[in-house]
Amino acid sequence: MPTSTVHLEIPASGAYLSVARAAATGLAAQLQFTYEEIDDLRIAVDEACTQLLARRGSATTLRVDYHLADTELRVDVSIEAPDRGDPLAKDTFAWQILTAITDEVSERAESDRLALSFRKVGSRA
Amino acid sequence: MATGVLEGAALAGRGVDRAYAKDLFRRFVEHRDPALREELVGVHLPLVEYLARRFRNRGEPLEDLVQVGTIGLLKAIDRFDLDREVEFSTYATPTIVGELKRHFRDKGWAVRVPRRLQELNLSLNKVVAELSQEVGRSPTIAEIASKVHLTEEEVLEGLDTSNAYAVVSLDAPAGGDDTPSVSEHIGVEDESLEALEYRAALGPLIAGLPERERRILYLRFFGGMTQSQIAARLGISQMHVSRLLNRTLAALRAGLLADEETE
Repeated sequence: MPTSTVHLEIPASGAYLSVARAAATGLAAQLQFTYEEIDDLRIAVDEACTQLLARRGSATTLRVDYHLADTELRVDVSIEAPDRGDPLAKDTFAWQILTAITDEVSERAESDRLALSFRKVGSRA
Repeated sequence: MATGVLEGAALAGRGVDRAYAKDLFRRFVEHRDPALREELVGVHLPLVEYLARRFRNRGEPLEDLVQVGTIGLLKAIDRFDLDREVEFSTYATPTIVGELKRHFRDKGWAVRVPRRLQELNLSLNKVVAELSQEVGRSPTIAEIASKVHLTEEEVLEGLDTSNAYAVVSLDAPAGGDDTPSVSEHIGVEDESLEALEYRAALGPLIAGLPERERRILYLRFFGGMTQSQIAARLGISQMHVSRLLNRTLAALRAGLLADEETE
């Protein structure tokens, strides 16, 4: 299966997290993720989005990109953050959650965006 | 005024060696020893099981109901006054039933979910548990769909519904005397959680969680155990672990976005 990407942009509000979660769920099902892996994925999406929303400042939208490969889903969450250059610290509970339930986590502070990415590999694909 | 419940409770209480229970109570009242408390719980568990069974056709697994009822039992044990001329089972029954009723009230669907979806979600709970047994691992959406003769789309719809169910207020069981401690002691795990509290500055929130929730949090995020493994270890279903985990995280996150409502 070739790599494909889904882009999602939602208002920077907790009320729209269900949309980000639902998209992840649907895509993970296509990759034959198990019920439990999907649950982990949903928790990870929630956690990553919430962490960035907590740093949203005046940002109005949150971007979520889903990259599908054969056996894995990579999720990039990012938010506009012109002057707050502190990404998620690695000694936080949130970071611990993300690393425990996904296969790889990374964070970046670009010139005007904060980004959190994680990769989840399905065991069945 | 022997209602059906009380009669039945008395019957269930009949299996208990009353002299023995009374002696346990006497010693417990004197020393407040947690080990005695656990023994009292064990002795009166049949009463909880009996009462929990009365609520079992409301869509919650019996094992969950027994756990909820046990919280009521613990409250009753802590408050029971030996000087009262009343059998403990008679005294405890309203407390246990009250706890079960509160459970259903608190766990009411937080979001108005169409009945069709509620039913779908409840039947999915069952199917996921069955399939996990069958295939020896967590099932995929495709497997669930073929088992229940629904499309994958419909199953996913049911999964999303489960989240509405998970949005439950966590302020009810926040520590204090009401927090049950039936499970064995967890020294090492507590140390890690203390480290976590310190690191994450989530102190009061995590300290306020019921022991079981803290434990699940620890096992999943620090102990490297999967939900299924935790479920097996704690003797509850994987779906139940999932619900508790999601609920706990939602409560911990609530503070982060707390300012939203005022915007």
